Amino acid sequence: MRRALPALALLALTACSTGPSLEHRGQVTAPPGDSHRLTIGSAGFTESDLLAQMYAQLLNQAGYKTSILTVANRELYEPALESGQIDVVPEYAATFADWLNAKTHGADARPVGSPDLDATMKALRALAAPRGLTVLPPGRAVDQNAFAVSASYARQHHLETLSDLGASKLRVRIAAGDECVQRPYCEPGLKKVYGIDVIGVDPKGVGTTQAKRAVQEGRDQMVLTTTTDATLDQFGLVLLADDKHLQNADYVVPVVNRSRAGSERVAKALGKLNDVLTTEDLARLNQQVDSWRRLPADVTRTWLKDKGLLK
Amino acid sequence: MPRTGQHNAPTGFRGRSNETVTAPPDDCLARNEWICGAYLSSRRQILLDAVVQHLQLTALSVLIGLVIALPLAVLARRWGWAAGPVLALTTILYTIPSLAMFSLLLPLYGLSAALVVAGLVLYSLTLLVRNVLAGLRAVPEETRQAARGLGYGPIRLLLTVELPLALPAAMAGLRIATVSAVSLVTVGAIVGFGGLGNLIYAGMNTYFKAQVLTASVLCVLIAVAADLLLLGVQWLITPWTRAGRARVPPRRGRARGTAVETKAGRA
Repeated sequence: MRRALPALALLALTACSTGPSLEHRGQVTAPPGDSHRLTIGSAGFTESDLLAQMYAQLLNQAGYKTSILTVANRELYEPALESGQIDVVPEYAATFADWLNAKTHGADARPVGSPDLDATMKALRALAAPRGLTVLPPGRAVDQNAFAVSASYARQHHLETLSDLGASKLRVRIAAGDECVQRPYCEPGLKKVYGIDVIGVDPKGVGTTQAKRAVQEGRDQMVLTTTTDATLDQFGLVLLADDKHLQNADYVVPVVNRSRAGSERVAKALGKLNDVLTTEDLARLNQQVDSWRRLPADVTRTWLKDKGLLK
Repeated sequence: MPRTGQHNAPTGFRGRSNETVTAPPDDCLARNEWICGAYLSSRRQILLDAVVQHLQLTALSVLIGLVIALPLAVLARRWGWAAGPVLALTTILYTIPSLAMFSLLLPLYGLSAALVVAGLVLYSLTLLVRNVLAGLRAVPEETRQAARGLGYGPIRLLLTVELPLALPAAMAGLRIATVSAVSLVTVGAIVGFGGLGNLIYAGMNTYFKAQVLTASVLCVLIAVAADLLLLGVQWLITPWTRAGRARVPPRRGRARGTAVETKAGRA
């Protein structure tokens, strides 16, 4: 009897589990629920924090009690979203669709995220629904890969779009991650879709300070970054428009647990952002937090009030 | 600095160049200084909440760890054969990397403070069990014989003779376990319950010097304060060790503080 004590102690330790179990996924068929208390998940990077704060403030105004839980990554928060420990999460349509696709069909599954927003949303909703998740409509804000060149270079060669760069026949070295050589959105796509003469990839990472400095100083001609990068000014860089839609449709979308936050009221509260929040707004808010080190909660409250979304 | 030239918006947004760009504020936050008064004043409540969470997680996990470790150590002392497996098990638990530990416990606890506490309890076991056991083993056989000769039963022997004599070693273990827990709590940040660790991780992501430094310093202060507190408690509950030292330095008959120090500074 006493022999079992260590085992019992461990059991007691684990038995007081309050956690959700992965087995309890019965809510999938449950009708859309409307829980009074909502937990909003953030993935721990600035933009995710900002969006989570916006969601929390808008839901507060709509009469919900909210709390924010910051978790390291999607591997941790997505199961919690399915089980209802987290109720609302800001996501990116194409990336999340591909992630769910890999989770459902294995890592080698053919990607479902694409530059086509409608197709991406359709694929995303088809993957999310069986898991009890509802994807709310996307707005205008997109955080996707983007390419920037120095402002002087753009002026000199009259570049506004990636097509312009392709037509210019300029030889271009790209400061990016080394995976750029293979990824369809990067070197192969730039060559094939835009006819850009890529002479090499300088492996300095995606949107890192070194990568931007390399372009600023003329060692490289173009840098891979994201559309919500707010530090481009600092390095004298401008984005070239992705006019042929090479990049995946990574529109910001709220994803909710249907049985807890699937109500019309939640959708309406969060939907207010859709027509208002732009990619540029996100970039500027990111800058206020990353460069000026303001608090995400303060930054979003001021912005929501400026836009008349928050009283 | 305003964006120069015609800005070319990628698809999805328009009109960046029309908007007025507000000048960045010039304060120690924007300058990203290591020591920044504005950081302290603007984050007072956040820092306070983080410290409180840090203390709660640490205290709870060490207390639960002690409650579990004590009987384990007593059992291991009573039955010699149990000592090997108990020590082996707790040591194996200690070698699991903290990130892996939290991932393993995640399905049981979900994203909760209980997850972090459970992980920390398992880590504290090895330090606590080893040290309590070392303390019990250091009780001289003559002392136990004498107590038995006076008619002490096993329970009374344990409670009034063995455990008090094991206290110095046990307290040493408790101190190491506590300091180690203070630093390990920070890893809980990956699930959003890491006390000051939440701030350290967020600060590292954005290279926020004031936040990383302030939270780290607070972490160290908590560890030092907790250690001093436990030292004080030990001083209060083991008066005989001081009496012994002051008068006749006993050659035997006093439990030696044989703390088993394992790597305490993990994470």
